[in-house]
Amino acid sequence: MSSLFAAPSGLRAQRGVAGFIAGLSPRGRALLIVTEVVLLLLLWQFLVGTLGLVNAVFFPPPLDVAQGFVELVQQGTLAQNAAVSVQSWLTGFAIAVAIGVPLGLLMGSSVPVDRVFGPIAWTLYAAPAVAYQPLTKAWFGFGTGPVIFLIVISAIFPIMLNLAAGIRTTSPSLIRAARVYGGSRMDVYRKILLPAAVPFLFAGLRQGAVLATIGMVVAELTGSSVGMGAVIIRSANTYNTDQSFAAIMLIVIWSVSMTQLVGLVERWLAPWNRRKGAAS
Amino acid sequence: MARALEPQEGGRLVTATMPLKIVRPSRSAARGSGEGRWRLLLAAVVLAILLVWEAAVSWLQLVPAVFLPPPTAVAASFVELVVRPDFWSAFGYSLGNLAIGVVLAVVIGVVVGLAVGWFPVLRFTVAPFLWLLYSTPKVALAPLIILILGLGAASQIALVLLLAVFPIMLNTMEGALTVNKSLVNAGRVFGANGIALGVKVLLPGTLPFSLVGIQRGAALGFTGQVLGEFLGGAGGLGHLLERAAFDFQMDDAIAMVIVMVIIANLTLTVIGLLRKRFAPWHDDRATVKAG
Repeated sequence: MSSLFAAPSGLRAQRGVAGFIAGLSPRGRALLIVTEVVLLLLLWQFLVGTLGLVNAVFFPPPLDVAQGFVELVQQGTLAQNAAVSVQSWLTGFAIAVAIGVPLGLLMGSSVPVDRVFGPIAWTLYAAPAVAYQPLTKAWFGFGTGPVIFLIVISAIFPIMLNLAAGIRTTSPSLIRAARVYGGSRMDVYRKILLPAAVPFLFAGLRQGAVLATIGMVVAELTGSSVGMGAVIIRSANTYNTDQSFAAIMLIVIWSVSMTQLVGLVERWLAPWNRRKGAAS
Repeated sequence: MARALEPQEGGRLVTATMPLKIVRPSRSAARGSGEGRWRLLLAAVVLAILLVWEAAVSWLQLVPAVFLPPPTAVAASFVELVVRPDFWSAFGYSLGNLAIGVVLAVVIGVVVGLAVGWFPVLRFTVAPFLWLLYSTPKVALAPLIILILGLGAASQIALVLLLAVFPIMLNTMEGALTVNKSLVNAGRVFGANGIALGVKVLLPGTLPFSLVGIQRGAALGFTGQVLGEFLGGAGGLGHLLERAAFDFQMDDAIAMVIVMVIIANLTLTVIGLLRKRFAPWHDDRATVKAG
Protein backbone atom coordinates (compact mmCIF):
# COMPACT_ATOMS: atom_id res chain seq x y z
CA MET A 1 0.00 0.00 0.00
CA SER A 2 2.93 2.29 0.65
CA SER A 3 3.38 2.67 -3.08
CA LEU A 4 0.05 4.48 -3.18
CA PHE A 5 1.54 7.35 -1.30
CA ALA A 6 4.91 7.40 -2.98
CA ALA A 7 5.94 10.58 -4.69
CA PRO A 8 4.55 10.55 -8.21
CA SER A 9 6.81 10.96 -11.18
CA GLY A 10 6.09 14.50 -12.32
CA LEU A 11 4.05 14.50 -15.50
CA ARG A 12 3.96 18.25 -15.76
CA ALA A 13 4.30 21.27 -13.49
CA GLN A 14 1.75 21.07 -10.69
CA ARG A 15 -0.48 24.01 -9.97
CA GLY A 16 -3.43 24.74 -7.72
CA VAL A 17 -4.89 21.90 -5.67
CA ALA A 18 -2.69 19.32 -7.37
CA GLY A 19 0.39 21.38 -6.61
CA PHE A 20 -0.67 21.59 -2.98
CA ILE A 21 -1.19 17.82 -2.76
CA ALA A 22 2.04 17.10 -4.60
CA GLY A 23 3.86 19.21 -2.04
CA LEU A 24 2.52 17.14 0.87
CA SER A 25 4.69 14.62 2.65
CA PRO A 26 3.78 10.93 2.22
CA ARG A 27 2.18 11.05 5.66
CA GLY A 28 0.19 14.13 4.70
CA ARG A 29 -1.03 12.40 1.59
CA ALA A 30 -2.03 9.30 3.55
CA LEU A 31 -3.96 11.55 5.92
CA LEU A 32 -5.74 13.08 2.93
CA ILE A 33 -6.85 9.63 1.76
CA VAL A 34 -8.09 8.73 5.24
CA THR A 35 -10.06 11.99 5.38
CA GLU A 36 -11.57 11.16 2.01
CA VAL A 37 -12.65 7.72 3.21
CA VAL A 38 -14.25 9.15 6.35
CA LEU A 39 -16.08 11.80 4.32
CA LEU A 40 -17.36 9.18 1.87
CA LEU A 41 -18.63 6.97 4.70
CA LEU A 42 -20.37 9.97 6.33
CA LEU A 43 -21.97 10.89 3.01
CA TRP A 44 -23.12 7.29 2.47
CA GLN A 45 -24.59 7.17 5.98
CA PHE A 46 -26.35 10.50 5.42
CA LEU A 47 -27.76 9.75 1.96
CA VAL A 48 -28.93 6.19 2.63
CA GLY A 49 -29.38 6.09 6.38
CA THR A 50 -30.86 9.51 7.06
CA LEU A 51 -32.40 10.67 3.79
CA GLY A 52 -33.25 7.19 2.52
CA LEU A 53 -32.39 8.06 -1.10
CA VAL A 54 -31.56 4.43 -1.91
CA ASN A 55 -33.20 1.35 -0.51
CA ALA A 56 -31.10 0.51 2.55
CA VAL A 57 -31.46 -3.19 1.79
CA PHE A 58 -29.38 -2.74 -1.37
CA PHE A 59 -26.72 -0.40 0.00
CA PRO A 60 -26.83 -0.66 3.78
CA PRO A 61 -25.20 2.43 5.36
CA PRO A 62 -21.97 2.00 7.35
CA LEU A 63 -23.67 1.94 10.77
CA ASP A 64 -25.99 -0.87 9.61
CA VAL A 65 -22.98 -2.80 8.33
CA ALA A 66 -21.33 -2.39 11.72
CA GLN A 67 -24.56 -3.63 13.27
CA GLY A 68 -24.51 -6.61 10.88
CA PHE A 69 -20.97 -7.39 11.96
CA VAL A 70 -22.03 -7.39 15.62
CA GLU A 71 -24.94 -9.71 14.75
CA LEU A 72 -22.60 -12.12 12.97
CA VAL A 73 -20.30 -12.18 15.98
CA GLN A 74 -23.12 -12.64 18.47
CA GLN A 75 -24.77 -15.45 16.54
CA GLY A 76 -21.45 -17.22 16.45
CA THR A 77 -21.73 -17.66 12.67
CA LEU A 78 -18.66 -15.52 12.11
CA ALA A 79 -16.20 -17.48 14.24
CA GLN A 80 -17.40 -20.79 12.82
CA ASN A 81 -17.42 -19.82 9.13
CA ALA A 82 -14.33 -17.63 9.19
CA ALA A 83 -12.38 -20.52 10.72
CA VAL A 84 -13.49 -22.83 7.89
CA SER A 85 -12.57 -20.27 5.23
CA VAL A 86 -9.17 -19.47 6.73
CA GLN A 87 -8.39 -23.16 7.02
CA SER A 88 -9.37 -23.85 3.40
CA TRP A 89 -7.40 -20.86 2.19
CA LEU A 90 -4.24 -21.78 4.06
CA THR A 91 -4.46 -25.43 3.02
CA GLY A 92 -5.10 -24.57 -0.61
CA PHE A 93 -2.38 -21.93 -0.78
CA ALA A 94 0.14 -24.25 0.89
CA ILE A 95 -0.64 -27.00 -1.65
CA ALA A 96 -0.35 -24.50 -4.52
CA VAL A 97 3.08 -23.37 -3.25
CA ALA A 98 4.23 -26.94 -2.60
CA ILE A 99 3.37 -28.00 -6.18
CA GLY A 100 3.90 -24.71 -7.99
CA VAL A 101 7.40 -23.91 -6.77
CA PRO A 102 9.06 -27.21 -7.78
CA LEU A 103 7.25 -27.20 -11.13
CA GLY A 104 8.25 -23.58 -11.70
CA LEU A 105 11.89 -24.37 -10.91
CA LEU A 106 11.78 -27.31 -13.28
CA MET A 107 10.15 -25.28 -16.05
CA GLY A 108 12.62 -22.47 -15.61
CA SER A 109 15.71 -24.64 -15.75
CA SER A 110 14.78 -27.24 -18.36
CA VAL A 111 13.96 -26.16 -21.88
CA PRO A 112 12.07 -29.36 -22.85
CA VAL A 113 9.86 -29.12 -19.74
CA ASP A 114 9.23 -25.46 -20.47
CA ARG A 115 8.40 -26.10 -24.12
CA VAL A 116 6.04 -29.00 -23.39
CA PHE A 117 4.53 -28.09 -20.05
CA GLY A 118 4.46 -24.32 -20.61
CA PRO A 119 1.78 -24.22 -23.33
CA ILE A 120 -0.44 -26.62 -21.35
CA ALA A 121 -0.11 -24.48 -18.21
CA TRP A 122 -0.80 -21.23 -20.09
CA THR A 123 -3.89 -22.73 -21.71
CA LEU A 124 -5.32 -23.86 -18.39
CA TYR A 125 -4.38 -20.56 -16.72
CA ALA A 126 -6.23 -18.54 -19.36
CA ALA A 127 -9.54 -20.28 -18.65
CA PRO A 128 -11.54 -18.99 -15.71
CA ALA A 129 -11.09 -21.22 -12.66
CA VAL A 130 -14.85 -21.00 -12.04
CA ALA A 131 -15.36 -23.26 -15.02
CA TYR A 132 -13.78 -26.17 -13.14
CA GLN A 133 -16.09 -25.71 -10.17
CA PRO A 134 -19.04 -27.94 -11.22
CA LEU A 135 -16.66 -30.82 -11.98
CA THR A 136 -15.05 -30.61 -8.56
CA LYS A 137 -18.46 -30.41 -6.94
CA ALA A 138 -19.40 -33.66 -8.65
CA TRP A 139 -16.07 -35.27 -7.70
CA PHE A 140 -15.52 -34.08 -4.14
CA GLY A 141 -19.10 -33.57 -3.01
CA PHE A 142 -20.56 -30.67 -1.10
CA GLY A 143 -18.00 -29.36 1.36
CA THR A 144 -14.52 -27.93 1.66
CA GLY A 145 -13.01 -30.32 -0.91
CA PRO A 146 -14.09 -28.29 -3.97
CA VAL A 147 -13.17 -25.07 -2.17
CA ILE A 148 -9.60 -26.21 -1.58
CA PHE A 149 -9.34 -27.54 -5.13
CA LEU A 150 -10.45 -24.23 -6.60
CA ILE A 151 -8.00 -22.31 -4.38
CA VAL A 152 -5.15 -24.57 -5.55
CA ILE A 153 -6.09 -24.28 -9.23
CA SER A 154 -6.43 -20.48 -8.93
CA ALA A 155 -3.14 -19.88 -7.13
CA ILE A 156 -0.81 -22.44 -8.68
CA PHE A 157 -0.37 -21.01 -12.19
CA PRO A 158 0.79 -17.49 -11.32
CA ILE A 159 3.29 -18.92 -8.81
CA MET A 160 4.64 -21.51 -11.23
CA LEU A 161 4.76 -19.34 -14.37
CA ASN A 162 6.27 -16.31 -12.64
CA LEU A 163 9.02 -18.39 -11.07
CA ALA A 164 9.81 -20.06 -14.39
CA ALA A 165 9.91 -16.70 -16.16
CA GLY A 166 12.21 -15.34 -13.45
CA ILE A 167 14.75 -18.08 -13.95
CA ARG A 168 14.53 -17.94 -17.72
CA THR A 169 15.06 -14.18 -17.91
CA THR A 170 18.12 -14.02 -15.68
CA SER A 171 20.67 -11.88 -17.46
CA PRO A 172 22.94 -14.22 -19.49
CA SER A 173 25.95 -12.02 -18.74
CA LEU A 174 25.53 -12.73 -15.01
CA ILE A 175 25.55 -16.46 -15.76
CA ARG A 176 28.59 -16.10 -18.04
CA ALA A 177 30.38 -14.07 -15.37
CA ALA A 178 29.77 -16.82 -12.82
CA ARG A 179 31.09 -19.42 -15.27
CA VAL A 180 34.18 -17.34 -15.96
CA TYR A 181 34.90 -17.25 -12.24
CA GLY A 182 34.73 -21.03 -12.19
CA GLY A 183 31.22 -21.50 -10.85
CA SER A 184 29.84 -25.02 -11.28
CA ARG A 185 26.32 -25.70 -12.56
CA MET A 186 25.15 -25.95 -8.96
CA ASP A 187 26.86 -22.67 -8.03
CA VAL A 188 25.23 -20.86 -10.94
CA TYR A 189 21.88 -22.27 -9.93
CA ARG A 190 22.19 -21.41 -6.25
CA LYS A 191 24.00 -18.10 -6.39
CA ILE A 192 22.73 -16.56 -9.63
CA LEU A 193 19.47 -18.09 -10.87
CA LEU A 194 17.61 -18.52 -7.58
CA PRO A 195 18.31 -15.03 -6.17
CA ALA A 196 17.43 -13.51 -9.55
CA ALA A 197 14.12 -15.36 -9.59
CA VAL A 198 13.05 -14.33 -6.09
CA PRO A 199 11.31 -11.06 -7.10
CA PHE A 200 9.35 -12.99 -9.74
CA LEU A 201 8.45 -15.69 -7.23
CA PHE A 202 7.05 -13.11 -4.82
CA ALA A 203 5.18 -11.33 -7.60
CA GLY A 204 3.62 -14.72 -8.36
CA LEU A 205 2.84 -15.36 -4.70
CA ARG A 206 1.12 -11.96 -4.41
CA GLN A 207 -0.95 -12.60 -7.52
CA GLY A 208 -1.63 -16.12 -6.29
CA ALA A 209 -2.85 -14.85 -2.92
CA VAL A 210 -5.35 -12.54 -4.62
CA LEU A 211 -6.54 -15.25 -7.01
CA ALA A 212 -6.76 -17.79 -4.17
CA THR A 213 -9.17 -15.50 -2.32
CA ILE A 214 -11.26 -15.10 -5.47
CA GLY A 215 -11.28 -18.86 -5.98
CA MET A 216 -12.30 -19.40 -2.37
CA VAL A 217 -15.17 -16.94 -2.58
CA VAL A 218 -16.40 -18.36 -5.88
CA ALA A 219 -16.32 -21.93 -4.58
CA GLU A 220 -18.06 -21.04 -1.33
CA LEU A 221 -20.69 -18.97 -3.11
CA THR A 222 -21.61 -21.71 -5.54
CA GLY A 223 -21.24 -24.93 -3.61
CA SER A 224 -20.67 -24.88 0.11
CA SER A 225 -22.83 -24.54 3.18
CA VAL A 226 -19.98 -23.25 5.34
CA GLY A 227 -17.42 -20.49 4.91
CA MET A 228 -17.65 -16.75 4.37
CA GLY A 229 -19.04 -17.11 0.85
CA ALA A 230 -21.88 -19.21 2.22
CA VAL A 231 -22.53 -16.52 4.85
CA ILE A 232 -22.82 -13.90 2.08
CA ILE A 233 -25.25 -16.01 0.05
CA ARG A 234 -27.39 -16.91 3.06
CA SER A 235 -27.62 -13.39 4.43
CA ALA A 236 -28.30 -11.90 0.97
CA ASN A 237 -31.05 -14.44 0.32
CA THR A 238 -32.73 -13.49 3.59
CA TYR A 239 -32.35 -9.74 2.86
CA ASN A 240 -29.89 -9.28 5.74
CA THR A 241 -27.58 -7.38 3.41
CA ASP A 242 -25.95 -5.57 6.32
CA GLN A 243 -24.49 -8.93 7.30
CA SER A 244 -23.45 -9.64 3.68
CA PHE A 245 -21.58 -6.35 3.52
CA ALA A 246 -19.89 -7.09 6.85
CA ALA A 247 -18.78 -10.49 5.51
CA ILE A 248 -17.56 -8.91 2.24
CA MET A 249 -15.56 -6.33 4.20
CA LEU A 250 -13.88 -9.12 6.15
CA ILE A 251 -12.96 -10.95 2.94
CA VAL A 252 -11.52 -7.73 1.52
CA ILE A 253 -9.48 -7.22 4.71
CA TRP A 254 -8.27 -10.83 4.49
CA SER A 255 -7.25 -10.45 0.84
CA VAL A 256 -5.37 -7.20 1.46
CA SER A 257 -3.63 -8.52 4.57
CA MET A 258 -2.47 -11.66 2.80
CA THR A 259 -0.88 -9.68 -0.06
CA GLN A 260 0.72 -7.37 2.50
CA LEU A 261 1.99 -10.40 4.39
CA VAL A 262 3.62 -11.76 1.22
CA GLY A 263 5.31 -8.36 0.82
CA LEU A 264 6.56 -8.48 4.42
CA VAL A 265 7.97 -11.97 3.98
CA GLU A 266 9.67 -10.80 0.79
CA ARG A 267 11.35 -7.89 2.59
CA TRP A 268 12.44 -10.23 5.35
CA LEU A 269 13.70 -13.09 3.16
CA ALA A 270 14.99 -11.08 0.22
CA PRO A 271 16.08 -7.66 1.44
CA TRP A 272 18.20 -7.20 -1.69
CA ASN A 273 15.05 -6.88 -3.72
CA ARG A 274 14.06 -3.31 -2.83
CA ARG A 275 11.60 -1.70 -5.20
CA LYS A 276 13.18 1.23 -6.90
CA GLY A 277 10.70 4.05 -7.27
CA ALA A 278 7.38 2.26 -7.64
CA ALA A 279 5.53 3.32 -10.76
CA SER A 280 2.34 4.24 -8.99
CA MET B 1 1.99 -3.25 -6.38
CA ALA B 2 0.18 -5.99 -8.26
CA ARG B 3 3.22 -6.48 -10.44
CA ALA B 4 2.52 -9.98 -11.60
CA LEU B 5 2.15 -11.99 -14.73
CA GLU B 6 -1.19 -12.44 -16.36
CA PRO B 7 -2.40 -15.13 -18.71
CA GLN B 8 -1.55 -14.16 -22.22
CA GLU B 9 -1.42 -15.77 -25.57
CA GLY B 10 1.76 -17.62 -26.49
CA GLY B 11 3.87 -16.96 -23.44
CA ARG B 12 3.69 -13.19 -23.65
CA LEU B 13 3.76 -12.04 -20.11
CA VAL B 14 2.22 -8.86 -18.89
CA THR B 15 2.08 -7.12 -15.55
CA ALA B 16 -1.12 -5.82 -14.10
CA THR B 17 0.05 -2.33 -14.73
CA MET B 18 2.57 -2.56 -17.49
CA PRO B 19 3.37 -4.81 -20.43
CA LEU B 20 6.53 -6.73 -19.94
CA LYS B 21 7.67 -8.97 -22.70
CA ILE B 22 9.63 -11.85 -21.31
CA VAL B 23 12.51 -12.40 -23.68
CA ARG B 24 13.46 -16.01 -23.88
CA PRO B 25 17.20 -16.56 -23.71
CA SER B 26 18.92 -17.54 -26.94
CA ARG B 27 19.23 -21.22 -26.10
CA SER B 28 15.46 -21.55 -26.50
CA ALA B 29 15.07 -18.96 -29.24
CA ALA B 30 12.74 -19.93 -32.02
CA ARG B 31 14.72 -21.51 -34.81
CA GLY B 32 12.75 -22.95 -37.70
CA SER B 33 13.14 -26.70 -37.25
CA GLY B 34 13.73 -26.45 -33.47
CA GLU B 35 10.33 -24.85 -32.98
CA GLY B 36 8.66 -27.61 -35.02
CA ARG B 37 10.39 -30.29 -32.96
CA TRP B 38 9.05 -28.85 -29.70
CA ARG B 39 5.55 -28.70 -31.18
CA LEU B 40 5.84 -32.35 -32.11
CA LEU B 41 7.04 -33.23 -28.63
CA LEU B 42 4.16 -31.25 -27.11
CA ALA B 43 1.66 -33.11 -29.29
CA ALA B 44 3.25 -36.43 -28.33
CA VAL B 45 3.05 -35.63 -24.61
CA VAL B 46 -0.60 -34.54 -24.86
CA LEU B 47 -1.36 -37.72 -26.79
CA ALA B 48 0.45 -39.81 -24.17
CA ILE B 49 -1.55 -38.17 -21.36
CA LEU B 50 -4.79 -38.92 -23.21
CA LEU B 51 -3.67 -42.54 -23.77
CA VAL B 52 -2.84 -43.05 -20.10
CA TRP B 53 -6.19 -41.54 -19.16
CA GLU B 54 -8.01 -43.80 -21.63
CA ALA B 55 -6.08 -46.85 -20.41
CA ALA B 56 -6.65 -46.09 -16.73
CA VAL B 57 -10.40 -45.68 -17.19
CA SER B 58 -11.59 -47.99 -19.96
CA TRP B 59 -9.01 -50.80 -20.03
CA LEU B 60 -7.65 -51.09 -16.51
CA GLN B 61 -10.76 -49.58 -14.88
CA LEU B 62 -8.79 -47.93 -12.11
CA VAL B 63 -11.33 -45.12 -11.99
CA PRO B 64 -15.07 -45.66 -12.57
CA ALA B 65 -16.06 -44.23 -15.95
CA VAL B 66 -19.11 -42.44 -14.50
CA PHE B 67 -16.71 -40.49 -12.36
CA LEU B 68 -14.06 -39.70 -14.92
CA PRO B 69 -15.18 -40.64 -18.43
CA PRO B 70 -12.36 -41.60 -20.84
CA PRO B 71 -11.22 -39.13 -23.53
CA THR B 72 -13.09 -41.02 -26.25
CA ALA B 73 -16.38 -40.56 -24.38
CA VAL B 74 -15.61 -36.88 -23.81
CA ALA B 75 -14.79 -36.44 -27.50
CA ALA B 76 -18.06 -38.12 -28.45
CA SER B 77 -19.98 -35.79 -26.11
CA PHE B 78 -18.12 -32.81 -27.54
CA VAL B 79 -19.19 -33.70 -31.07
CA GLU B 80 -22.75 -34.30 -29.88
CA LEU B 81 -22.69 -30.97 -28.07
CA VAL B 82 -21.65 -28.82 -31.01
CA VAL B 83 -24.55 -30.03 -33.14
CA ARG B 84 -27.17 -29.39 -30.46
CA PRO B 85 -29.22 -26.23 -31.15
CA ASP B 86 -29.65 -25.46 -27.43
CA PHE B 87 -25.87 -25.39 -27.07
CA TRP B 88 -25.62 -22.66 -29.71
CA SER B 89 -28.41 -20.61 -28.16
CA ALA B 90 -26.64 -20.89 -24.79
CA PHE B 91 -23.39 -19.94 -26.51
CA GLY B 92 -24.96 -16.85 -28.07
CA TYR B 93 -26.59 -15.85 -24.80
CA SER B 94 -23.39 -16.10 -22.75
CA LEU B 95 -21.11 -14.45 -25.27
CA GLY B 96 -23.71 -11.75 -25.98
CA ASN B 97 -23.84 -10.78 -22.32
CA LEU B 98 -20.07 -10.96 -22.11
CA ALA B 99 -19.67 -8.68 -25.14
CA ILE B 100 -22.12 -6.08 -23.82
CA GLY B 101 -20.44 -6.07 -20.40
CA VAL B 102 -16.92 -5.82 -21.82
CA VAL B 103 -17.86 -3.01 -24.24
CA LEU B 104 -19.40 -1.03 -21.36
CA ALA B 105 -16.28 -1.72 -19.30
CA VAL B 106 -14.02 -0.52 -22.13
CA VAL B 107 -15.95 2.73 -22.55
CA ILE B 108 -16.08 3.50 -18.83
CA GLY B 109 -12.58 2.21 -18.13
CA VAL B 110 -10.84 4.12 -20.91
CA VAL B 111 -12.62 7.41 -20.23
CA VAL B 112 -12.13 7.29 -16.46
CA GLY B 113 -8.59 5.92 -16.83
CA LEU B 114 -7.55 8.72 -19.19
CA ALA B 115 -9.11 11.36 -16.96
CA VAL B 116 -7.52 10.05 -13.77
CA GLY B 117 -4.17 9.56 -15.48
CA TRP B 118 -4.19 13.02 -16.99
CA PHE B 119 -5.48 15.27 -14.19
CA PRO B 120 -3.14 15.32 -11.19
CA VAL B 121 -5.96 16.24 -8.80
CA LEU B 122 -7.87 13.08 -9.71
CA ARG B 123 -4.69 11.03 -9.59
CA PHE B 124 -4.04 12.03 -6.01
CA THR B 125 -7.60 11.72 -4.78
CA VAL B 126 -9.28 9.00 -6.86
CA ALA B 127 -6.46 6.70 -8.00
CA PRO B 128 -5.80 5.20 -4.53
CA PHE B 129 -9.44 4.12 -4.36
CA LEU B 130 -9.27 2.58 -7.80
CA TRP B 131 -6.19 0.59 -6.77
CA LEU B 132 -7.98 -0.54 -3.64
CA LEU B 133 -11.08 -1.60 -5.58
CA TYR B 134 -8.87 -3.29 -8.18
CA SER B 135 -7.26 -5.50 -5.55
CA THR B 136 -10.44 -6.51 -3.73
CA PRO B 137 -12.25 -9.75 -4.58
CA LYS B 138 -15.30 -8.21 -6.23
CA VAL B 139 -16.81 -11.63 -6.96
CA ALA B 140 -18.07 -11.49 -3.36
CA LEU B 141 -20.58 -8.84 -4.49
CA ALA B 142 -22.24 -11.27 -6.91
CA PRO B 143 -25.13 -12.29 -4.60
CA LEU B 144 -25.94 -8.64 -3.88
CA ILE B 145 -25.94 -7.74 -7.57
CA ILE B 146 -28.34 -10.60 -8.22
CA LEU B 147 -30.48 -9.39 -5.32
CA ILE B 148 -30.65 -5.88 -6.82
CA LEU B 149 -30.97 -6.70 -10.53
CA GLY B 150 -32.71 -10.05 -10.28
CA LEU B 151 -31.87 -13.33 -11.99
CA GLY B 152 -31.07 -12.94 -15.62
CA ALA B 153 -29.06 -11.07 -18.21
CA ALA B 154 -28.97 -7.71 -16.39
CA SER B 155 -27.18 -9.03 -13.32
CA GLN B 156 -24.75 -11.04 -15.46
CA ILE B 157 -23.86 -8.01 -17.57
CA ALA B 158 -23.38 -5.97 -14.40
CA LEU B 159 -21.09 -8.64 -12.99
CA VAL B 160 -19.03 -8.74 -16.20
CA LEU B 161 -18.77 -4.94 -16.13
CA LEU B 162 -17.76 -4.87 -12.47
CA LEU B 163 -15.00 -7.45 -12.91
CA ALA B 164 -13.72 -6.19 -16.27
CA VAL B 165 -13.65 -2.44 -15.69
CA PHE B 166 -10.83 -2.10 -13.15
CA PRO B 167 -7.95 -3.70 -15.06
CA ILE B 168 -8.91 -1.58 -18.09
CA MET B 169 -9.16 1.59 -16.01
CA LEU B 170 -5.86 1.10 -14.18
CA ASN B 171 -3.85 0.05 -17.22
CA THR B 172 -5.20 3.04 -19.13
CA MET B 173 -4.32 5.29 -16.20
CA GLU B 174 -0.77 3.92 -16.06
CA GLY B 175 -0.53 4.31 -19.82
CA ALA B 176 -1.64 7.94 -19.71
CA LEU B 177 1.20 8.61 -17.28
CA THR B 178 3.78 7.36 -19.75
CA VAL B 179 2.67 9.50 -22.71
CA ASN B 180 5.66 11.44 -23.89
CA LYS B 181 5.52 15.08 -22.84
CA SER B 182 7.01 16.33 -26.06
CA LEU B 183 4.21 14.62 -28.00
CA VAL B 184 1.70 16.51 -25.85
CA ASN B 185 3.55 19.76 -26.40
CA ALA B 186 3.70 19.10 -30.13
CA GLY B 187 -0.05 18.50 -30.10
CA ARG B 188 -0.54 21.79 -28.31
CA VAL B 189 1.64 23.62 -30.83
CA PHE B 190 -0.60 22.30 -33.58
CA GLY B 191 -3.60 23.70 -31.77
CA ALA B 192 -5.02 20.53 -30.21
CA ASN B 193 -6.56 21.20 -26.83
CA GLY B 194 -9.01 19.67 -24.42
CA ILE B 195 -10.93 16.75 -25.90
CA ALA B 196 -9.02 16.90 -29.20
CA LEU B 197 -5.72 16.53 -27.36
CA GLY B 198 -7.14 13.57 -25.48
CA VAL B 199 -8.40 11.83 -28.61
CA LYS B 200 -5.48 12.61 -30.93
CA VAL B 201 -2.47 12.33 -28.63
CA LEU B 202 -3.37 10.76 -25.32
CA LEU B 203 -5.60 7.94 -26.58
CA PRO B 204 -3.22 6.55 -29.23
CA GLY B 205 -0.30 6.80 -26.82
CA THR B 206 -2.26 4.90 -24.21
CA LEU B 207 -3.86 2.34 -26.52
CA PRO B 208 -1.29 -0.46 -26.02
CA PHE B 209 -1.78 -0.22 -22.27
CA SER B 210 -5.56 -0.14 -22.59
CA LEU B 211 -5.47 -3.24 -24.79
CA VAL B 212 -3.48 -5.09 -22.13
CA GLY B 213 -6.16 -4.09 -19.65
CA ILE B 214 -8.93 -5.11 -22.04
CA GLN B 215 -7.32 -8.51 -22.50
CA ARG B 216 -7.22 -9.05 -18.75
CA GLY B 217 -10.67 -7.52 -18.32
CA ALA B 218 -12.25 -9.82 -20.89
CA ALA B 219 -10.81 -12.85 -19.09
CA LEU B 220 -12.18 -11.64 -15.76
CA GLY B 221 -15.48 -10.75 -17.40
CA PHE B 222 -15.84 -14.34 -18.55
CA THR B 223 -15.45 -15.41 -14.92
CA GLY B 224 -18.21 -12.94 -14.04
CA GLN B 225 -20.55 -14.29 -16.71
CA VAL B 226 -20.04 -17.93 -15.71
CA LEU B 227 -20.38 -17.14 -12.00
CA GLY B 228 -23.56 -15.17 -12.67
CA GLU B 229 -25.02 -18.19 -14.46
CA PHE B 230 -23.99 -20.57 -11.68
CA LEU B 231 -25.70 -18.42 -9.08
CA GLY B 232 -28.93 -18.20 -10.97
CA GLY B 233 -30.49 -17.63 -14.30
CA ALA B 234 -31.12 -20.03 -17.12
CA GLY B 235 -29.95 -20.10 -20.69
CA GLY B 236 -26.18 -19.81 -20.69
CA LEU B 237 -23.14 -22.03 -21.07
CA GLY B 238 -22.48 -21.95 -17.32
CA HIS B 239 -26.01 -23.09 -16.71
CA LEU B 240 -25.63 -25.97 -19.19
CA LEU B 241 -22.37 -27.00 -17.52
CA GLU B 242 -23.87 -26.90 -14.06
CA ARG B 243 -26.87 -28.96 -15.13
CA ALA B 244 -24.66 -31.58 -16.77
CA ALA B 245 -22.53 -31.88 -13.62
CA PHE B 246 -25.63 -31.95 -11.43
CA ASP B 247 -27.08 -34.82 -13.47
CA PHE B 248 -23.67 -36.48 -13.22
CA GLN B 249 -23.24 -36.48 -17.00
CA MET B 250 -19.52 -36.09 -16.53
CA ASP B 251 -18.66 -36.58 -20.21
CA ASP B 252 -20.97 -33.67 -21.11
CA ALA B 253 -19.61 -31.60 -18.24
CA ILE B 254 -15.97 -32.09 -19.23
CA ALA B 255 -16.82 -31.31 -22.86
CA MET B 256 -18.46 -28.06 -21.67
CA VAL B 257 -15.35 -27.16 -19.66
CA ILE B 258 -13.24 -27.75 -22.77
CA VAL B 259 -15.55 -25.43 -24.71
CA MET B 260 -14.98 -22.75 -22.06
CA VAL B 261 -11.21 -23.23 -22.13
CA ILE B 262 -11.33 -22.80 -25.91
CA ILE B 263 -13.50 -19.67 -25.67
CA ALA B 264 -11.21 -18.09 -23.07
CA ASN B 265 -8.06 -18.81 -25.07
CA LEU B 266 -9.63 -17.60 -28.33
CA THR B 267 -10.71 -14.35 -26.68
CA LEU B 268 -7.19 -13.72 -25.39
CA THR B 269 -5.69 -14.54 -28.78
CA VAL B 270 -8.08 -12.25 -30.66
CA ILE B 271 -7.37 -9.31 -28.37
CA GLY B 272 -3.66 -10.11 -28.60
CA LEU B 273 -3.94 -9.87 -32.40
CA LEU B 274 -5.78 -6.57 -32.01
CA ARG B 275 -2.87 -5.35 -29.92
CA LYS B 276 -0.47 -6.22 -32.71
CA ARG B 277 -2.76 -4.71 -35.33
CA PHE B 278 -3.59 -1.42 -33.62
CA ALA B 279 -0.44 -0.80 -31.65
CA PRO B 280 2.36 -2.20 -33.80
CA TRP B 281 4.54 0.82 -33.00
CA HIS B 282 4.48 -0.06 -29.36
CA ASP B 283 7.80 -1.30 -28.05
CA ASP B 284 7.32 -3.33 -24.90
CA ARG B 285 10.93 -2.95 -23.82
CA ALA B 286 10.67 0.82 -23.85
CA THR B 287 7.79 0.76 -21.39
CA VAL B 288 9.62 -1.53 -19.04
CA LYS B 289 12.45 0.97 -18.91
CA ALA B 290 9.95 3.77 -18.35
CA GLY B 291 8.61 1.94 -15.31
